[in-house]
Amino acid sequence: MKPKANADFPSFGMSFRKVFAFFFFLGRKTGKARVFFLLGLIPIAIAVMVRIVMAGRSGDVVAVFNEILIVFFVTFDIVILSLFYGTSIVAEETEGRTLPYLTTRPLSKTGIFLGKYAAYVSLMFLMVTASLFVSFFIMNGHRFRDPMLYLTFLRYAAALGLGILAYTAFFAFLGTFLKRAILIGLIFGFGWENVIQYFPGSTQKFSLVHYMKSLMPRRASGGPFSILLFRLEPTAPAVAMVMLVLIAAVFLALACWLFRMKEYLFEE
Amino acid sequence: MTTVIETKSLSKWYGNVLGLSDVSLEIEAGITGLLGPNGAGKSTFMKLITGQMKPNIGGVTVRGEEVWNNFRLFRKIGFCPEQDAFYEDVTGWEFLTGLLRLYGFRPAEVTGRAARALEIVELTADKDRKIRSYSRGMRQRVKFAQSVAHDPDIIILDEPLSGLDPLGKRRLIRLVKDFQSEGKTIIVSSHVLPEIEAMTSRIIMIHQGKILAQGDIHGIRDLIERYPHMISVRCADARAVAARFVQDPSILKMSFGPDARSLVVETHNRDAFFSRLQSVVLETGIEVEEISSPDDNLQAVFDYLVVR
Repeated sequence: MKPKANADFPSFGMSFRKVFAFFFFLGRKTGKARVFFLLGLIPIAIAVMVRIVMAGRSGDVVAVFNEILIVFFVTFDIVILSLFYGTSIVAEETEGRTLPYLTTRPLSKTGIFLGKYAAYVSLMFLMVTASLFVSFFIMNGHRFRDPMLYLTFLRYAAALGLGILAYTAFFAFLGTFLKRAILIGLIFGFGWENVIQYFPGSTQKFSLVHYMKSLMPRRASGGPFSILLFRLEPTAPAVAMVMLVLIAAVFLALACWLFRMKEYLFEE
Repeated sequence: MTTVIETKSLSKWYGNVLGLSDVSLEIEAGITGLLGPNGAGKSTFMKLITGQMKPNIGGVTVRGEEVWNNFRLFRKIGFCPEQDAFYEDVTGWEFLTGLLRLYGFRPAEVTGRAARALEIVELTADKDRKIRSYSRGMRQRVKFAQSVAHDPDIIILDEPLSGLDPLGKRRLIRLVKDFQSEGKTIIVSSHVLPEIEAMTSRIIMIHQGKILAQGDIHGIRDLIERYPHMISVRCADARAVAARFVQDPSILKMSFGPDARSLVVETHNRDAFFSRLQSVVLETGIEVEEISSPDDNLQAVFDYLVVR
């Protein structure tokens, strides 16, 4: 008797929820989480130093450092986080040879993959927003009463969240079929992305960071200090948002399909 | 008896390497031992019947249902993998409860089942220690616990006794037999004949991806007895034990291991050797740490069977 063709669907939700809870718990216990938590302290330390050194200086200088912080999050923090967490969704199970603990449970493979992806994305989002929240409000402590400040923060957080979603989906896809996914991911994240985003015209649209930058709030003045938006020819925010979601969805669908079909053999 | 697991012309290749070739079997309730030297195809067979790999040719059914990508079947199946692999950053308790939650049990049920599973493998006292701090034997036991905690009908154990001390092996063998008396279907693999023999008389011999023989162990054992059997005894004073066997006619050859704490003997008559060893241990009071059968002898028997 053959299993039903779409036997995955009735209990996909259950698989997803259980796997999410399992890895959300497990993810917090790993050494990797501690290292990345410490990484999140870097912008906080920078913010504290800037506030001490720049006390009494003009708002423009503070704004520049705001941008430096965001550059750190956009071009380094979320790329490295997504790279390590995304590629590890499958790789850590195969390299650690723990995959049978998941695949011999009554869980759909799609549920396993997406549940773990969602758990890791949530962990990363918490790490990044906590670090962004503290550093951002240390830097802008003098503007607490300005409602625009909160909107700006939310916009940064949303852009970073969507970035994590898309980057992690892409790296997770790499991790499902490449043995050295980290290496390829490093080349993509810190090579391709860092170069292509500064190309003029539509070429920069072939990078994920372009869409994230398009979602960032822009200072009215722009000016010589506009580090983050250097050479940006922005896509409309709504389109950028759709593009990031679409990229995440496409790579997740591919990754789920591969994970369902592929056999993972362990190297002794 | 009804067939629980059925394979038809089951074959698997890894590139150009043959993993399993044309295996057709019907496995019924009770304990079935899968015996073969390392690399014989035992783990491949187990991975195929647990749906971790897809056959190139043929198929596997468990209770009449195909296994590959049929995740619902795993409510009834418990699998203990061969590899010493864990989520190292969690405690034994967290490992078991975490995996039990994946079945959708309610929290109280998860706690009860995890506690029971840890109790039967005698790890209750160490449940709050991180798995990375467990000894090899403890790791093996917690791995076994996760395979039975959800009370499956079918238990598949890939080399479950490796890494256990003699006492641990005896306990696990007793547990496996207890599960058999509950009417479960158990498949257990090993490359050590006495281990399989201690659990069941129903065996399947596998070598180079092919089934060489299956059925009652006694007929196969007669064949094996024609070949010298290698037994390694690890103890505090291997030389003293060796001295007692010098005149023993059942011993063909004796040698010491590299650390001088193990004695390797070759014999035609395993039963006579074990009987004599028991007396020697009682007489001298020497504590035996481990008794094992190195692979080579079994390999020779399998090679003989292949030629035959």
